[in-house]
Amino acid sequence: MERQIDLRHPWPVRLWHWMTALAVGVLLFTGLLLFDIHPRLYWGDDGHEGMPAFFSISAPDLNRPVLQTDLQVGRHHFDMTGRLGLAIDTGFGDKDFLVFPPPADWDFGATRGWHFLCAWILVLGAFAYGLYLLAGGRLRRTLWPARTELTFASLGRELSLHLRLRRARGEAARRYNLLQKVTYLVVIFGLIPLLIVSGLTMSNSVTTAFPDLYALFGGRQSARSIHFIAAMLLLVFIVVHVFQVFVAGFFNLMRSMITGRFAVEREEAP
Amino acid sequence: MSRLINRRGLIVGGAAAAGTLIAGCARVDRQWPAPALLDAADAFTRGAQRLLLGQRPLARELSLTDVSAHFPLSGTFMPAADSYKRLLEDDFAGWHLRVHGLVERPLELSLAELRALPSRTQITLHQCDEGWSAVAQWTGVPLARVLGLAGVQKRARYVVFHCLDQLELDGNYYYESLDLLDAAHPQTLLAYGMNGKPLPVQHGAPLRLRVELQIGYKNAKYVDRIEVVDSLGSIGKGRGGWWEDFDHAIWYAGL
Repeated sequence: MERQIDLRHPWPVRLWHWMTALAVGVLLFTGLLLFDIHPRLYWGDDGHEGMPAFFSISAPDLNRPVLQTDLQVGRHHFDMTGRLGLAIDTGFGDKDFLVFPPPADWDFGATRGWHFLCAWILVLGAFAYGLYLLAGGRLRRTLWPARTELTFASLGRELSLHLRLRRARGEAARRYNLLQKVTYLVVIFGLIPLLIVSGLTMSNSVTTAFPDLYALFGGRQSARSIHFIAAMLLLVFIVVHVFQVFVAGFFNLMRSMITGRFAVEREEAP
Repeated sequence: MSRLINRRGLIVGGAAAAGTLIAGCARVDRQWPAPALLDAADAFTRGAQRLLLGQRPLARELSLTDVSAHFPLSGTFMPAADSYKRLLEDDFAGWHLRVHGLVERPLELSLAELRALPSRTQITLHQCDEGWSAVAQWTGVPLARVLGLAGVQKRARYVVFHCLDQLELDGNYYYESLDLLDAAHPQTLLAYGMNGKPLPVQHGAPLRLRVELQIGYKNAKYVDRIEVVDSLGSIGKGRGGWWEDFDHAIWYAGL
């Protein structure tokens, strides 16, 4: 079997990928810490303890040795007694409920600083990468589905390959398949912009400059809830993405994203 | 306002925790270049938002029907000092707001004198960095008015608010600061009224700061003294506020 080395990812793609991977890692981690301190999701503008939440994790009595944790989703309640949550001393003479423990000696105050530092990296990187994709025609060449791909037969074939965890071979391995294309397009042009804009809708200053953001999301708390849900979808994407790297050839794919070089095994002539 | 998940609190929480998340990386956050990067990002945010807010727009104001039935308490609910209790017994009759530092005319204004100044009433959304938010109506004198009376000197850059409440964690009095632009914003108030009534003790009586362009912890409660300075270096540990100094919170909290 013959092997051919493609220069798959030009350096801007590789730089953007790893820069964004690092930023998103810190964003997800600090974002979860921010959720942790108030694990409740609301709809509308105001939302706080005592108001109805459509999702919440809480414990009625923080002085009990074993917390009676309640996981609420809409009208459903799940008893998580002893399995979820902890009570910490706030330093103001009362206790606070957390879902999971932050790192030892973590400064909660710094959490937002880290979140915004990495948000800037994500925002500026996504903007530059978006321009790069559009300007050079790369979007059309690598990510935009070809007309021939948009048939039920082709979609069925892709799904079948994916479900059986089959690697693409030969010419097919040199291009992104339809499911990859659609996923990357949704993440780059849907999920990431949604995360950025819903995040900015939580900012006092940004909403002062652009008050319509409140109307766009249905309120400040709605924006926070959408931000959180979108972040969880991004986490799902990352888990599947990493899993697929292992399925499709860890060494080859990691090399292609680090050095750009991607090996394609040529099919034998029939 | 912020909640402490550190020091005392977390030593307890952390010990109870079965295996701390990324324990190995936790200390990266205080080594070079982390603090410099965080400060740079905060300064970048401030610059970007100054661009957006160039026309000095007002933060959204809501209507009376939007006011939250319950407004959560945060930070101090009742200052512990005896001197505060004496002021409270006297209904703050003996209390004066001091304005000093880089001003032409240092001031001492009683609550009655503050109430006699032109006031502003606004219904706004308060956002805590913990994630919750609530709506209240605030009445007070625009900070710009008080600074105008005192006359800000040319060298002045920041306005520092010294408060009457001590934080249990280190016993220091609460303090916060704004730059002159946010201090001069028309919606930045020294509020003495909340929801049509005198400001309750748990929300910062006799006087609290309302700064609608920034997040919860900037809205200092129990304001006692306003100091105009050219640098934040000599205030606390130099980062401009109690949470900023003690908990590494960001100073420009417009995001």
